[in-house]
Amino acid sequence: MTDVLLLVNRSLRVVLRQPAAIIPSVAISVFFLFVYNSGLSSVADLPGFQGSYLAFILPVAIVSAAVSGAGLAGQELIRDIESGYFTKLLLTPTARLSLVWGPMIAAATLLVAQVVLIIGLALLLGLDPATGVLGVLMVIFFAFVWGMAFAGYSVLMALKTKNAAAAQAATFAFFPLIFLSTTFVPEEYITAEWLKWAARINPTTYVFEAMRSLLIEGWQAGPLLIGLAVVAGFATLTGGLALRAAYKETQLTK
Amino acid sequence: MTVDRQSTQARDGEDRSIIAERITRTFDELVAVDTVDLAVPSGEIFGFLGPNGAGKSTLVRVLTTILAPTRGRATVAGHDVVRDGAAVRCAIGVALQDVGLDGLMTARELLVLQGRVFGHPAGEARENAARLLETVGLADVDPDKRVGDYSGGMKRRLDLALALVHRPGILFLDEPTTGLDPVSRAAIWEEVRRLNGDDGVTIFLTTQYLEEADRLADHVAIIDKGRIVAEGTPTELKREIGNESVILTFGDAGTAGRAAEVLAPMAEQRQLTGEELVLYFASAGGVVAEIVRRLDGADVPLKGLALSQPSLDDVFLRATGVRLSDADETVRDEAEEAPPEGSSAGVAAGRGGGS
Repeated sequence: MTDVLLLVNRSLRVVLRQPAAIIPSVAISVFFLFVYNSGLSSVADLPGFQGSYLAFILPVAIVSAAVSGAGLAGQELIRDIESGYFTKLLLTPTARLSLVWGPMIAAATLLVAQVVLIIGLALLLGLDPATGVLGVLMVIFFAFVWGMAFAGYSVLMALKTKNAAAAQAATFAFFPLIFLSTTFVPEEYITAEWLKWAARINPTTYVFEAMRSLLIEGWQAGPLLIGLAVVAGFATLTGGLALRAAYKETQLTK
Repeated sequence: MTVDRQSTQARDGEDRSIIAERITRTFDELVAVDTVDLAVPSGEIFGFLGPNGAGKSTLVRVLTTILAPTRGRATVAGHDVVRDGAAVRCAIGVALQDVGLDGLMTARELLVLQGRVFGHPAGEARENAARLLETVGLADVDPDKRVGDYSGGMKRRLDLALALVHRPGILFLDEPTTGLDPVSRAAIWEEVRRLNGDDGVTIFLTTQYLEEADRLADHVAIIDKGRIVAEGTPTELKREIGNESVILTFGDAGTAGRAAEVLAPMAEQRQLTGEELVLYFASAGGVVAEIVRRLDGADVPLKGLALSQPSLDDVFLRATGVRLSDADETVRDEAEEAPPEGSSAGVAAGRGGGS
């Protein structure tokens, strides 16, 4: 566990020395929050729409931050592979689990900082979360685990492709998931049947719903448990695949 | 896990730090290392000499557990490199041909992190970092300067310091001076001698520089096209081909060939390469006049003649039929057409260059 913390600390320090790697991800989230909140806020006037549009669109800004920001984990891993530092770490007693989790947790931690900033901006814009401070912390927790899931995918792609551009492109392949969902309006307002189905099978929908239940409706066991299962399941899947790739691709002996 | 030198050597009951038995490593159709046998006694500097692409770096990667061998068995510090790789990694220090440094980190950060992952407490890791920077001659450099701003020589020295953090009993140095200026090269040589002489570290050193192997190594193995073609102390290897050599040059290869036939009865040990013929003798002083007389008698025009002590290049020439410098050129030509070594060998083995 100490090794994981050492490598998380190292990844955070190194990433913070490259502001250009963080700024675009923050900018995208802030863009989503401001542009969609000001441009689509009249959706909240539709009959039957619950809560403010700001609370409805905030999870979109958070999830988009997870998709773009978590890519940092893979980018950092590729930088280490290209510099030879990854091999240097492989030759230490550090477990490969630490080598995989280090950048993943660092990316998810940065994501949390980013989410805190976005929620802070939303509070300034008038956000009034239904579940209070505890609910906001829960939203941040969801963001962390969802960030871990995407960081795991990003690390997996980094180990498979060993190419910065390819890994980045693979991460952006997940952006459509954000939009094939209840991104801008609740499901009952989606008229296209195919989009309704896409939203139902899209795991992002359940992350949106869990966060929205906390921000708009209050403590609801159903959406929270489903959301938790989705983020934890996805994080376990990508983290496991990344670890397997670390063993397979490094060819290091046991 | 903290590892000290005593425990590493205590496990080595046979007093052989590194043993390779018929190690073979292939990459698809390419046989990079071909049935190599080696035994490196504890406390020695073992020079592994060969041109680019000969298989040196691949063998280092196998012995340091980065690559699994295709066939064969190897033990390092008494541990099997395949079955007990983690124990091997604790016992060895490794500085690969391409330095493995994060340019965004500082020397102090890299050394402290390396110490921490080897189990040193934070305070001890910081003290060691300062000591190691002094050891490798970087004490005058700001330890909080980012490594990306270091020169090539400084990076090499820092890479060596990283390999020494956990006080390994065995050190693998893969072409540690390639691309360095003479001053940096001399500094690395001095440090290698000190580590071996004062600290008793067994050093496995690959090099493509004859002078480096000659000056540093107690034993030398010469590898060419994946196979070991000669092995022994530098003195033994040179003595095998004679104490002195006469180098004759001719106008063309055909003339050199005729000269080789004419002089064959005089010298049992001889090497013909293009327009050059090298003859090896126990003592060459008395035979020069006879050589000139025989060539005159056979009407073979001589262009140049020089006396020399046999070098490891002569040993390489005798074993492979080409000089080491010429072999490098050939390999470079071939490399332009062939895929890079280790291209299918995963993350740790997939990085550039090497041999």
